[in-house]
Formats: sequence, structure tokens, C-alpha cells
Amino acid sequence: MGKGWCLFFLFWPVAAVVSCAMAPMVGWSFPYDNAQAASNLGIRIDGLFYLILFVTAVVFVGTQAVLVYALWRGSSNRDERATYTHGNHKLELIWSIIPGVILLFLALYQMNLWADFRIKKYFPEAAVKAPIAEVTARQFEWRFRYPAIGKELQPKPQSDDLYSVNELHVPFGKPVMIQLRSEDVQHSFFLPALRIKQDALPGLQIPVWFEANKEGVYDLVCAELCGWGHYKMKAHVIVESEADYQNYLKNLTQQQFYDGLGKIAANENDSESEATEK
Amino acid sequence: MRFGLSRLSLLLLFPLFSLTGCEQPQVNFVFSEKTNELVPEAAKPVKEALVRQFGNPFELTQFEGLPTDFGDVEGSVKTVQASSGEEKLIRFQVEGLQDAYPKLLGLPLEWTSGKGQGQISRIKEYNYETGTIAVDKTADIDPQPGDTFLVECTRLQFGRDLYNRHCMHCHGMSGEGTGPTSRYLNPPPRDFRQGIYKYTSTKPTAKAQNADLERTVKEGIAGTYMPSFKLLTDDEVSAIVNYVVWLSIRGETEKKIVDELFFDYSKKVVAERTSEDGGESREDVMEELKEYMELDFPDTLEFATSSVAEAWEEANMEDAVVVPETPRVPDTPESRERGRKLYLGDKTKCATCHGPQGRGNGTATQDFWTNPATNEKYPNRGLHDIWGNQLPPRDLHRGIYRGGRRPIDVYRRMYSGIKGTPMPAFGGPLSDEELWDLVNYVMSLPYSSK
Repeated sequence: MGKGWCLFFLFWPVAAVVSCAMAPMVGWSFPYDNAQAASNLGIRIDGLFYLILFVTAVVFVGTQAVLVYALWRGSSNRDERATYTHGNHKLELIWSIIPGVILLFLALYQMNLWADFRIKKYFPEAAVKAPIAEVTARQFEWRFRYPAIGKELQPKPQSDDLYSVNELHVPFGKPVMIQLRSEDVQHSFFLPALRIKQDALPGLQIPVWFEANKEGVYDLVCAELCGWGHYKMKAHVIVESEADYQNYLKNLTQQQFYDGLGKIAANENDSESEATEK
Repeated sequence: MRFGLSRLSLLLLFPLFSLTGCEQPQVNFVFSEKTNELVPEAAKPVKEALVRQFGNPFELTQFEGLPTDFGDVEGSVKTVQASSGEEKLIRFQVEGLQDAYPKLLGLPLEWTSGKGQGQISRIKEYNYETGTIAVDKTADIDPQPGDTFLVECTRLQFGRDLYNRHCMHCHGMSGEGTGPTSRYLNPPPRDFRQGIYKYTSTKPTAKAQNADLERTVKEGIAGTYMPSFKLLTDDEVSAIVNYVVWLSIRGETEKKIVDELFFDYSKKVVAERTSEDGGESREDVMEELKEYMELDFPDTLEFATSSVAEAWEEANMEDAVVVPETPRVPDTPESRERGRKLYLGDKTKCATCHGPQGRGNGTATQDFWTNPATNEKYPNRGLHDIWGNQLPPRDLHRGIYRGGRRPIDVYRRMYSGIKGTPMPAFGGPLSDEELWDLVNYVMSLPYSSK
């Protein structure tokens, strides 16, 4: 094998490392605001990701360096022949134990994060007490049911519940919890900016909590191939101040019980989102 | 092991198998079944007239008098870029297209002043950012700063592009409701060509308002496959609705002119007329048809288009909307009880279809109904809509309101009925108070213990 091939095999790991390092600068990294997650939990998940990325990068660069070194030596020394050996007990132990230790470390290290993210016992108490909405995924949209102002969300629909579609408003500055359902097939509730992802399964009601660390409009997409319109299944999660959120609910109440007369008559045919525009 | 011929052929067949799922949708406006049932001598002028009036999906034609927005834009030449001798295009910067649909590419541009006045150039390049247009270089086209031009139909093109992207898959290229996905959907996607939409805010005989259709696009229809398109901008939604209304008008115009011809010149009727019993010769019938086409057809076409256009225009007037005279009667047990009595009573006969308990299983669902269009009995028991689909009456306990869950929406369903379905309009027979009592009763059903 010529030296050209050595350079060829050297080029790819270098290109991989360089593009990886540059990714955040050119916007190829995590979505939103310079790759910074929009929730505190998300930032912790990112930390875990970077840790794993670091470990795998060290292993990758190390093995590639050894590979290139071996190729280079082989190509510059035609006299030395390779020898065949059958196994090396010491080596086997090393490359079993080291990854084992790393994996065990990662498994233990992430347990708290996993518990905070997924186990209801560890959810913020306030969020669990008052789920803000029931989110129903269906082909190909997201439907939301809020309890009436001042009331708690009930598992079954109530006569004064508030409804909206493809636009979930949540208050800022506190953890919120939703009850996730699916009406038809398997969907996945995915807030890329907040690093929240949870499958929605027909017949189950799954609690999901999140807390955005800044106000804004975030994408809610479906992360499970749920049918031909999967890519269209997109909604907005609007994180706003408590006052704005209450205002939104008030507006929604007004619209929902609108009888064709009275105050909101002027824009009665407008969609809900328009009527609540500030 | 050798890689045998059979394995090779299997491998080659693989892409074929994978591609069979990717069927291409219909790319032209389709004509209705009834049009195709006319004798060719009658069908041909109908089809030609439709193409003349409405064009095809790639080249939409505009004609005056429709209530849809074609979006003609006028612009003028700002500067002309000097082009080298071999260049086949003339590029010039324009003014006045700031609000135009960004994709003017391929559209005809008519020169309204200057040397090329009256000439039409096709837009070969268009840069929205810089406002630069390029057209073919010819002897007559010599744009000078200040020359004015007109680009037609940009709004409709915008709507068409969005429609083809978001709606066509179910509703079909010409709004006939048979897009590639339609066969998997129940209820099936709406066929727009009758110009009838179920959920409107308008009076029983009126068409839908643009605002009603915009609301449907934005909110979706709960309980059906029509999803919400809330993330589209208001402008996009209104462009889609503009195009949908245009497709409706096209379909309805076709229906009207074909209905005129059908009783005399369908293949079946002509066969009967020229049979031994009919006693007419084919030449006579064709002569009569030719005469009709020359003398009456232009008027029929004109009348069909203008009456359809007028109906759409009227629907968008303020007084077309159903507005209750009295506000909602308070939702009390007494009001619900009054509503329940009305529901079960002879005055409304709600229970006949929706069932005594509102489960959607009234006695009417067991009858064989007559198709009002053909006067023949449907092959299946139960109610049907005018699109020929079997239509179970709504189970009122499910809490799913396709036409919207606001009290006013339910009120309007009762006042105007549901267009295109057997749900009748109670706006006349029932007073406002009675309608509200019914609304209160019906809206309480999903939460009742019964």
C-alpha cells in the first residue's frame, strides 16, 4: 500500500474531527440559540451528550492514529513482515474492562438525570399537581385540552374545558406538565429546543414535564414516523409570561363560549390564534 | 457461491418494487364523470370551454367577473442591464412588484407601454430579492426605463402552489376529492366541485364565506382526517382558500353546463333517441346539438359562470351570516330539559336520526333512502350525503364537533343545517330561544351520565 493511501485514511478522521468541532459555529449542531438548550434539563442532557462525544472522540482519534501509524510503518518498511498471533489475554482484558468501566460510569452518572426526566416521583411537585393541558397527538396534528381557568385538568373532558390545536401556550418561569395521549397510532412529542422527547401511545396517558429557560416560540414536532403526513405534524409551543398565559386562557374561554353576539363579534370568524394576537 | 442470474434479476427488480408505492398524482384538471358520459360531440365543446375559461394547473386562465383574487400586478422598468451580444435574455430591474408572489417564474408578462406594447413575454428568470426579471430577447421587446407591464394571475398561482403542496394529496388536483391518499380516508376528502361546504356561518342556501373556509384550514376538522394548518401564515391560508373557491367555481360551472346538456345528449339518451323506439336519426340529433352549441351554448356558459360567481360573492356579504337575535339562553337544567323535549318532539324529530339518547342510532339509520339526484334507492341502509357517501348521524355523546365547538357553531349547525347532508335547517321552524335550548341540551350530552 502506498503512502497516498495512508494520507487518504488520515484525511477522514481529521475531517471528521474538524467538522465536528466547527459544527456549532456553522449551525450544524443542536438547534436554537447557539446550540444552547432552552430548558435546564436540556442543558444537562446536552452535558451528557458532550461527555459521551468526548469519550468516543478520544477513542476514535486514538484508534485512527494507531491505524494510520500502522499503515505508515507498513508502507515505509517493505522488509518487515507482519506476524500472525492468536489472541493476547492481557490485551483482551484491557479492551473489555476499559469500555466496561466507561459504560458503567455513564450508566451511573446519568441516573439522576434520567430519573428527573422520566420518573414521576422526581418530577417537580408543582408541575405534577396541576398538569396544564392534555396533549392529544393524531394524524397529523396536535390537539390540546386545558382545564377551565382556576380548575384542575381532569382525566375525562369537562364541559368547561378549553381546546386548541397546533398551538400550545405555557407559562414561563415554572415547570409545567402535560398529559400525553395518542388518538390513533404511535406518535412522539418532540420539543427539539428543549430536548424533550416522549412517545405517545394509543390507550396510554403519559405525563411529560418541561421548563423552558427563556420565553419564545418553540417547534413541537412528531418524532415517530406516523404516516404519510408525519412531516406536517408540526405545532408551536409558546412560552410566555404568566400574565400573557392567563390572558390567553381568558381569550380562549371567551372564544369558546362565544354565542355569535357580544364583544368578540368583530373577529369571530378569525382563527383562535388571530383573535389572541396582542 | 456464484451470483446467479435469478438473484441478479431479483436485485434489479428491487428498485421497481420500491417505486410502485410512489405513484404520481394526476397532474391535470379532470372533468366530471357526467361530462365524460356526454356524446363526444357535446363533451368536446364543454371541455374546450372549460379550458378556455379556467386553463390547466400549469397555466391558469383568468377571466373577468369572478369573486376570486387573480392578483394581477403592475410594474415598471427601472433600469435595463446591458447585455452582451450573445446573451439571449434581456435583464431589467423593476419596480412595483414588492407585494407580488415571489415566484413569477414562467408567468406571462404583458407590456402595457413602450415599443413592445401589447406583446407578451414569458418571465425566464425572476429574483425576488433584487427585483430583476429576465425575458427573451426579440426584435420587438426593447424595454426602456419607465415602460410598464402587467403580470396576471399571481395570487392564484400562489394559492395553487400551496394547494398542490398541502391539500392536493387528499383533495386532488382539481378539487375532485380523489387525491392519492383519498382512498384510505373515511370520511373521504371533500369534492369541491359541487361548491358545497358543510361547516359554514352562512344561511341555509348560501355558500361558504371565505372566512369559514379559512377557519376550517386553520383549525382542521376534529374527528376527520382534515388536519389543522395553523402554522401557515394568514396570507398563505387566504391564498389557498382563494384557489379552493376558484376550483369550486370551475367545478360548479362544469356541472351547470353539463346538467343542461345531459338530458338530451348523454351517450345513453342519444342511444335511446336514435333507437327504433326513439325514431330519430343520429344526423338529426347531431344537427340539433350543433344548433344548440352555436346559438345557446355561449349564453349557457355565460349564465353558468356568472350565477356561480354571484352566489360566491353574495356569501361573502355581511348579511349572509347567521347571527342569532337573542344571546345564548343560560345553560341551566331547565333550559336543557326544554331542549331535551324539543329533541325528542315531533317539531324537530332529532331522535329519528340521532337516536333517543343521542347515540347516532335513530330509526332513520335503518331505512333505505332515496338518492335525490337519481331518484333511486341507495343500496345500503342509512343516510347519505350529496357526495354519495354513507353518513351515520353524529353520536352526540362523543364531544367531537366537526364544525367547531363554540355554542355559535352548534347553533349555526341547527339554524342552517349541515349543507350537503340530510341534517335539515331549523332556522325557520324554531325560535332563537328554542334553538339555544337545543344547543344547551346537545352540548351537555357528552358530560351526562346517561
